[in-house]
Amino acid sequence: MANPNPHPGLSVAPPPPVAPVPVPRPVALELRDLTTVFPGDDGPITVIDGISLAVRAGGTLAVVGESGSGKSMTFLSALGLVASPGRVQRGEVRIGGADVLGQTPEQLRRLRGAVVSMIFQDPLTALNPVFTIGEQIVEVLRAHGHFSRAAARTRAVELLARVQIPDPARRIDDYPHQLSGGQRQRVLIAMAIALSPKVLIADEPTTALDVTVQAQILDLLAELQADTGMALVLITHDLGLVARYADDVAVMYAGRLVEVGSIEEVFSDPRHPYTRALFRSIPRLDGPVDEELPAIEGQPPNVARLPPGCAFEPRCTLGRGRADCCTKRPLPLAGDRSGHRSACFHADRLDQMEAAQ
Amino acid sequence: MDRLLRQLTQLAITVFGIVTVTFFLVRMIPGDPAQYMLGDYATEEALATLRAQLGLDRPVIVQYGLYALRALTGDFGASVVTGRPALEEILLSLPDSAVLAFAGLAIAVVIGIPLGIVTAERQGSWSDLLIMVVALFGISFPVFWLGLASVLLFSQELKWFPALGASSGGGFLDQIHHLVLPAGVLGISVAAYITRLTRSAMLEVLGQDYVRVARAMGVPQRRVVWRLALKNALVPILAIVGVTFAWSLGSAILIEVVFSRPGIGSMILKAVSARDYQLVQAGVLVLAVAVVLVNSLLDLAYGLVDPRLSTR
Repeated sequence: MANPNPHPGLSVAPPPPVAPVPVPRPVALELRDLTTVFPGDDGPITVIDGISLAVRAGGTLAVVGESGSGKSMTFLSALGLVASPGRVQRGEVRIGGADVLGQTPEQLRRLRGAVVSMIFQDPLTALNPVFTIGEQIVEVLRAHGHFSRAAARTRAVELLARVQIPDPARRIDDYPHQLSGGQRQRVLIAMAIALSPKVLIADEPTTALDVTVQAQILDLLAELQADTGMALVLITHDLGLVARYADDVAVMYAGRLVEVGSIEEVFSDPRHPYTRALFRSIPRLDGPVDEELPAIEGQPPNVARLPPGCAFEPRCTLGRGRADCCTKRPLPLAGDRSGHRSACFHADRLDQMEAAQ
Repeated sequence: MDRLLRQLTQLAITVFGIVTVTFFLVRMIPGDPAQYMLGDYATEEALATLRAQLGLDRPVIVQYGLYALRALTGDFGASVVTGRPALEEILLSLPDSAVLAFAGLAIAVVIGIPLGIVTAERQGSWSDLLIMVVALFGISFPVFWLGLASVLLFSQELKWFPALGASSGGGFLDQIHHLVLPAGVLGISVAAYITRLTRSAMLEVLGQDYVRVARAMGVPQRRVVWRLALKNALVPILAIVGVTFAWSLGSAILIEVVFSRPGIGSMILKAVSARDYQLVQAGVLVLAVAVVLVNSLLDLAYGLVDPRLSTR
């Protein structure tokens, strides 16, 4: 039962008139049942709980959710970067088909930067202030071997040109504070793609930048992706960016996955009340000016004190107080790589329930 | 250049402040230099003559004015005990103290900085805990106590090192042999301090975003800690070394006394008990200027480490 027009403020590219039969591309990165815990006063606190996701080569997966929902933690866990005393409790991280979580720290290090790279939210703090940008790119190149000093520097200039830094041969000796925020994010992208990784994880890459620069950075990422065929994971809370750049979307809430699907599926027929609430809270240019923006009631959950049932139940206008939502814990979404899935018990009846209110 | 000029102006102001403060501090030491020099049985007349000769009969503020004026020309008066220029006396004994202070500081830096880095890297581990407890003891024990204890152990019991003197006239190796114990004691007590502060500086840097980024890019842990993070921590670490230099000089004075070594420390101690105002003033001034100079040099070094602090 599809909702015909739940959120006209967002444009989703219409499907091509004659859909070619797609050849399934190989899965570049797959997480299965990934679970990370931190020690707490009353036993371990589960910060991400049974996350299963897959990104195909050349594809873009957007991961959305509010701050603290575990978006970044999911991928830090996948790269073995969880800060002590947190630890990955269980799960698999498959890169090119092999589970990398059981590997030694040294093997994991060799994967990071070379096979899976990550860029972060704030380019102002992500570059080392006391080294030139060239030294920092060279450091990454040489961390993965095979580069003489001179060759690494030549490659660094190429990379800076690749991310459209003007006059790269001169700018390479600049320190980060001599560059603008957008340029610094470009430098970080240059570091991240230095070794042609198969997967690039972009953790809110434009949140700290102003809007005009945002589009430039994301267009650059899309262009690099088209050239190299790398998979892109876009962690964001900006649904507009999701609609524009992503193929698939995963919605997280309180460290759990609540809905996964292609953007056509999720945007045209959101099957979780949280996803629906997210869409309703987007400001719209064509709406009445004085209309109050519907916000999601209540407080973001504390993952140390989740209710026994569905984590969203206390804030859910449809399920609040329902016996099943209060007591039964939704099963983690299966990592079967495809299809539109929702963790809501009432996923198939949301339209009727909304209409009945 | 501009920066250098600023540093020099700062230095001049500081020196003037030091001259003023030591002048008045020294005069707050109870006791009369004339009485001290002539002994308990001196006549009132002889005392008055000597006071007039030393200029002590004039109001303190006039004494200060005269002293400051002469100081401008480099004349810091003569020692009332030896009769030689006070500054010369002090500068002659400066090398002995400088050798001790720098040797101690070098030991402290060589031990303290690596230990601070290693403990920061393993924060919370048993080795971190153990080193931090030992360092706490190192800070808590007064340096003269460590000195006495080490004399008892290494000189009296084990007879590895001599307990007294500096063998100033002896050969190089003999001098080193005499230096090991005092410099070691000084170094260890300062190292404890440097270890703790280096650890906290490194911990702060290791929590920064760019460290996480370097790890996410696969830079090996050893490079991350010893190159990428350390260079950032170097500014606070240099500042710590500057502070501990003053502290090493102060401790060197105590150590000179414990080990009966020649140097500014033992000289100032004798001068204080003799109420030799000029000598005390010159001694404190030289020590203070040394501290200020070293810190000014470090200020200039910050710019080499952190490009944001250098004026382009």
